[in-house]
Amino acid sequence: MKGTYLGEFEEVVLLAVAIRSGDAYGAAIVTEIEQQMSRSVNLGAVHSALNRLAEKGLVTSALGGVTTERGGRRKRLYSVTAAGQRALQEVRQLRNQMWEAIPNTAWS
Amino acid sequence: MKTSPPRWATRLLYLVCAPNRIDELEDDLNELFYERIESVGLRQARWRYIKDVLSLVRPSLVRPSLVRPSLLRPSLLRPSLIKRQESFYPKQTSMTMLRNYLKIAFRNLTKNKAYSAINITGLSIGMACSLLIGLWVLDEFNVNKGYKDGDRIYFIRLTDGISTSEIMPGPLAAALKKDIPAVEKVTKFTVWSNDFLLNAGQQSSKKTGIYATEDFFDIFQYPVLQGNPSLAIQLPNSIIITRNTAQTLFGRIDAVGQTLRLNNDKYYRIGAVIDNVPANLSVQFDWIVNFTVSEEDWMKTWGSRSFLTYVKLKPNTTQSQAEASMKGILKRYIPDNKEIPVLQPIGDTYLYGNYINGKPMGGRISYVQTFTLVGLLILLIACVNFMNLSTARSAKRAKEVGVRKVVGASRWALAGQFFGESILLNLVAAIVAVLLVISLLPGVNQVVDKHLSIDLLSPMIWFYLVILVGVTSLLAGIYPALFLSAMQPAKVLKGVFAKVSAGATFRKSLVVFQFSLSLFFIIGMLIIGRQMAYIRTKQLGLDRQNIIHLPVEGELRGKMETLRQELQRSNAIRSVTTVGELPIQIGSTTSLNWPGKDAKRDGSVTTMKVGLDFAKTLDIQFVAGHDFGPADTMNCIVNESTVRMMNLKNPVGTEINKGHIIGVVRDFHTSSFHDPIRPLLLTYYPKWTNDFLIKTSPGKMTEALTIIEQLTHQLNPGYPFTYHFLDETYEKLYRSETLVNRLINFFGVLAILISCLGLFGLATFSAEQRTKEIGVRKVLGASVSSIVALLSKDFLKLVLLAIVIASPIAWYAMTKWLQNFTYKIDIEWWMFMLASLLAVGIALLTVGFQSIKTALINPIKSLRSE
Repeated sequence: MKGTYLGEFEEVVLLAVAIRSGDAYGAAIVTEIEQQMSRSVNLGAVHSALNRLAEKGLVTSALGGVTTERGGRRKRLYSVTAAGQRALQEVRQLRNQMWEAIPNTAWS
Repeated sequence: MKTSPPRWATRLLYLVCAPNRIDELEDDLNELFYERIESVGLRQARWRYIKDVLSLVRPSLVRPSLVRPSLLRPSLLRPSLIKRQESFYPKQTSMTMLRNYLKIAFRNLTKNKAYSAINITGLSIGMACSLLIGLWVLDEFNVNKGYKDGDRIYFIRLTDGISTSEIMPGPLAAALKKDIPAVEKVTKFTVWSNDFLLNAGQQSSKKTGIYATEDFFDIFQYPVLQGNPSLAIQLPNSIIITRNTAQTLFGRIDAVGQTLRLNNDKYYRIGAVIDNVPANLSVQFDWIVNFTVSEEDWMKTWGSRSFLTYVKLKPNTTQSQAEASMKGILKRYIPDNKEIPVLQPIGDTYLYGNYINGKPMGGRISYVQTFTLVGLLILLIACVNFMNLSTARSAKRAKEVGVRKVVGASRWALAGQFFGESILLNLVAAIVAVLLVISLLPGVNQVVDKHLSIDLLSPMIWFYLVILVGVTSLLAGIYPALFLSAMQPAKVLKGVFAKVSAGATFRKSLVVFQFSLSLFFIIGMLIIGRQMAYIRTKQLGLDRQNIIHLPVEGELRGKMETLRQELQRSNAIRSVTTVGELPIQIGSTTSLNWPGKDAKRDGSVTTMKVGLDFAKTLDIQFVAGHDFGPADTMNCIVNESTVRMMNLKNPVGTEINKGHIIGVVRDFHTSSFHDPIRPLLLTYYPKWTNDFLIKTSPGKMTEALTIIEQLTHQLNPGYPFTYHFLDETYEKLYRSETLVNRLINFFGVLAILISCLGLFGLATFSAEQRTKEIGVRKVLGASVSSIVALLSKDFLKLVLLAIVIASPIAWYAMTKWLQNFTYKIDIEWWMFMLASLLAVGIALLTVGFQSIKTALINPIKSLRSE
């Protein structure tokens, strides 16, 4: 297993998977990120980030059921694993910790 | 307008992406595309679609990774779909297996460090040798190839069908241009070049130059830095100099219009500056002046020859056409002359310079071929080591092969694996070899007198390296690959195979082959070394020891007699003479006439102009008559060969070319031992003096040199004191032989070294295999010496066989080589004896070390484990 360090873009993708939980497939994640962050994202970047996250064990994927929407083909649905959840929380906690460490005088 | 995504982008997606991911990715792309038509418009959506496809072309998506078959729920899939998808899945095995092969290869390398070291050392030395030889050969082939219009430039020789001369009569060049329409340009210059002092203001330097006729720069075109050399050479008061000369004299290259003084004599205006003449061209010079400036009356006659002549043919004229049209040219000017001109393309002159019976018969090319062969052989020896060690040790890997086969490896997969290992090892060896070559090149350049370099940026080198690694990998890997992959798993795993004898015959013949080659090298080294020693020490008929030669230059020319007399007053100097050219530089010939001469004979002799005391200074013995006296200006002295040619009984007193023969000297060598001693005519002509020959008294060399230096400095200020020793000048005649001698020693030692490495490896292996046997023998009372003998015996037999094979081949090759010399040593039986003893000795040392080590092992240790 590769290191569990979470890159910035990986974090964003992981969050998008969590937001769309239950319906997180490639295109949906792209749309989600674009809407949330109003920046354009390449599909390839998202898929390779998903691959990396899967290798780190932070997401898993499974083929979903057949829907008419995709002409009878199935989607690969991603979901955040327990490890993924922990990783996200750790990042958030770290951020908070650092925010709190900023002295009051820094902004004045 | 179409509302579908760009089709080529979709095709690209299908082309590169992992087949198991395509459906999913295409759906994603389509979904995003239709969404984006709504939000940003069709154009933008198509553009984004293309960008997305391009972004998908990345390793992590091209290569399969995410999907694990266990995640598929078969119950959900129609059987037909499963099948389709499976067949589209990329084969993971090839990657994994490759990784496994690499891992096993690496483990094998590190597990047997000694064998790996032997293999890599041997291979890299072999490769380094062949790389070096390759560089040298390439350089040899490039000599004289750099001329513009080189295919139209030819060098002229004259042949009478038996002997061929490259030195032409002076008027031939002009005659060729006038009479032969196929000839566009002709140039000639003297065989000797002039080592003159060039003076410009405060700067002065000695530089070598030639006097050449007008067409010179139309034939040999060099990059021009300034001026127009073709025009400048037309003017008798112009000089053309090279970049180096300009830099030394003027400190810059735009020197046109400056003046310089040549040889402390005439002043010349710089007419043009050209680039330095590349080292790989035969015609070398630092400066050029119009030929007419140096022309003497005798140069205008057909009778004396001292020129090299080059022609440039008109376009679309073939060599044979031109030769046919110049066939009768000599007869037209010299009645009774049977010689005809032969042409040689300038690109061939360096490598194919030998003419026999008027036809080109090789020359330096034979050395080039020999060394190419040597390089290949050394490489082969190194490959043989690899083959030998890997087959010998195959027993150890037989189990691995067995297991692989049982699990389902095909024979070709196994062969591939062993080839792969061979390639891996060879790659490592190649890297070491390149590093070796880079570090050795400065030394090698000194030995071969070249400027070789390995340019790692040129595709040529890489091409060469790839070929080298490819060929050696194939050679080294082919036997293990085919041999090991053919083993039957059932037998191997039962342990039937684990015998030492596997491939033993093959291995033995390889050892014999290696040692035959080494022996060949040893014999070659011995015989070539002896011949070179013979050349250095054989009596030449003249004494070349303790003789200094001193060029006559500058103001010395007017004061030669003063110098001679002053020198003779010193007791450090035994004798002094003057010569027109050094004994080894004689190029001129003349035709003799004497009463009773057969009209059909050409009576050509080489001529040498000498001063007083010539025979005394060089210690040349008289057979009859006496040396020149001051009044003998019309008379001459001949050597024994001339007397034989003229068929005279009482040579002294015979009238010859308007004078008389006053003495006959014993034959002495004037050229290299390749050529027989030719008829020679000495004339007394002190006016034509270019060198002083000074014989010092024994043991007073330093004193003599001081005196000479003082005198020349006094008489000829402004000139640096330059002198040479005659014996050294003689040695320079054998440059290429000395080179061959050095190289054969070098490569011979390497070949032997590599062979020994292989033998050492094999000995180690066989000792290892027989540890138990030796333990048992020792327990039963065998002595150490009997065990050493037992272990060495097998290898000695092979070396003896190699001696039997190599000796006749070496004898044949060496006889061929010695045939190049008119004066040579005899090949004697003891040389082969000595070489054989050496080979046996070397083999015994190599094997013996290992044998003794094994024989000394305490049997308790070797037998304990069972």
